[in-house]
Amino acid sequence: MEIKYTVQGLLIYATIIAYLSAFVTSLLRREKTGHILYLFGFAIAVFSFGYRWYHVRHVPLQNLFEVFLCLGMIYPVSLFCRRILRVGGYSADMLIGAIVLFPAGFVFNAEPQQLPPALQSWLFTPHVAVYMLSYIIMAKATFQAILQLAGKGPNPNENLLPPEQATYRIICIGFPLLTLGLVLGSYWGKKAWGDYWGWDPKELWSLASWLVYVGYFHFRYMFGKKHPRINSFWAVAGMAAIIITLLWVNLSRLFPGLHSYAT
Amino acid sequence: MNKFRRAVMWVALALIILLLFLSVYGAFIGAARAKGFISRLPLVVYWITFTLLLITALVMFRRLVRVPGLLLIHLGCVFILAGAMWSSETGHKLQKKLFGIDKITTGQMIIFEGHSDNCVILEDLKQIKKLPFSVELDDLKQIKQLPFSVELKDFQIEYYKTAYLHIQTRDGQGWRIPVEIDTEFPLGSEFGTVKILKTFENFKITIEGGSKKIIDDPQPGSNPALEVQITSPEGQVTTRYVFERFGGHTRPEDKFALSYRRVISDYISRLRIIKDNKVAAEKDIEVNHPLSFGGYHFYQHSYDAEAGQYTVLMVVSNTGLAVVYAGYWMLCIGVIWHLWLRHIVARIKLKNK
Ligand code: HEM
Repeated sequence: MEIKYTVQGLLIYATIIAYLSAFVTSLLRREKTGHILYLFGFAIAVFSFGYRWYHVRHVPLQNLFEVFLCLGMIYPVSLFCRRILRVGGYSADMLIGAIVLFPAGFVFNAEPQQLPPALQSWLFTPHVAVYMLSYIIMAKATFQAILQLAGKGPNPNENLLPPEQATYRIICIGFPLLTLGLVLGSYWGKKAWGDYWGWDPKELWSLASWLVYVGYFHFRYMFGKKHPRINSFWAVAGMAAIIITLLWVNLSRLFPGLHSYAT
Repeated sequence: MNKFRRAVMWVALALIILLLFLSVYGAFIGAARAKGFISRLPLVVYWITFTLLLITALVMFRRLVRVPGLLLIHLGCVFILAGAMWSSETGHKLQKKLFGIDKITTGQMIIFEGHSDNCVILEDLKQIKKLPFSVELDDLKQIKQLPFSVELKDFQIEYYKTAYLHIQTRDGQGWRIPVEIDTEFPLGSEFGTVKILKTFENFKITIEGGSKKIIDDPQPGSNPALEVQITSPEGQVTTRYVFERFGGHTRPEDKFALSYRRVISDYISRLRIIKDNKVAAEKDIEVNHPLSFGGYHFYQHSYDAEAGQYTVLMVVSNTGLAVVYAGYWMLCIGVIWHLWLRHIVARIKLKNK
């Protein structure tokens, strides 16, 4: 763990502080101030991402540092879920934003890298961006699943969905993105390496994550809301598989694979 | 749901969970072993069962056919599985037996600059310790010929403009300095400063009039190097040559090791396909930009790292690929329609009413 004494580092820390202050303020029932702080944090997160983009001169989604920087821009997803999907967890999103920025601020190496030939493709940005968006959406679904498991529900006067339904609704938004990420990755693999499926660990973990959600859909079709806890368990398992896909394969160096450029 | 349908769903769920565990297992054993594992007989049975179950479901659950999104999703999965099986090694063998189509599934070609060849080595070159041309080519039984030749007009490696001098001290401290001529770079009071004086594309030492002379040789060849001036904290100045290809040795009195690294931005093979003594196709292939001809795709796979004289291409049959891609389209359109668009359209309709 190290502190980054750079402009980039300071921007990340400022975002984390804004998100955490927004979270605490919301818990103290000062929703309006919380919202303003959240919006302020988001503005710094966007600036921070743009700053990185300018600095490295390519879309900054090449390594874990950049990917987590991108995940920190969670605000539009929160807004979309609350306004359009009637799904809560708005305050928790502030915490999720701070949590995902933590490794970018303190753990991952921020040294800019030049793009190796394999990553110079129009597929690079859509493939990674779609995955990041789906991951953040699935993180929201997991929070709803945890609420369901904990037996908590939204305030009746908030006009929000109960957690079990909310989980399903968010997974319905995230799953097409996850599918698109998988398919774009496969198409890209074919263009770059000649194989649309290479059976390397990163691919297999992303397939496993996708299959957890496929399992979720069919289990929920078979039993509906009869076993809400098992439904929620699927969603939590999906997130666990996503975290492993994103982190473990890169960090553990346990598996020899093609995706070594992502370390 | 009647009993039979429920049974189908249970089997489907079991197969999905099984595939999930197989994927995790595959991730643990690494790509090379996973590739072998998935084409073993029990797995072949698994793939066929999964495909048949999807088809059974399409027949048994009316909604899977009537609801367009669900049809696209499940039929898409059938296409992907069928296309993948058809394009596999076993699929190719089956096509040879059934229809007499004898195609190379995948292999590699080594082509020297200015030469053409139609030989495809079916073994993975990385698995062969000696390079194939240092043994007799005939020794490799696993060679097949394409019905046309591939000519390598030129092979080129391009580098990013910015190259780096890496400095590593004995206690693990490190710097990465962009190569800029005559810019002094301070390394702190303990190590002094470094300055890059000159870059070489093709470093050579010649003897002229009995004395050694260092030149950047304009003749063909490549030996990238840097001339670096080190000034110690005591003011002592030394000059060092740092080579990209050869890691220099550190002397006991050296406080740090130097290395010169350039980052490759592209590999380009300028190819020409020759069929019946005529040029049938031409393309400069790069990573992400393969050449497609005669039922095969040609990829930039590897190269001669020593002298840049030859390229290694990967040749892959395109059999079954269109079916897999059709499946991808169906699956993507299916999930987007079924889980997103359908609801948006319904909302708009409701609003208009
Ligand atoms: C292995 C055999 C499979 C069977 C027997 C099967 C069967 C079914 C059935 C019966 C439904 C419910 C349809 C309805 O709403 O009336 C369904 C829904 C669905 N299936 Fe499958 N399926 C299989 C594999 C797959 C796979 C591999 C995918 C991968 C994408 C998939 C994705 C979906 C999705 C996204 C839904 C919609 C879920 C929802 O609307 O909540 N299925 N499937």
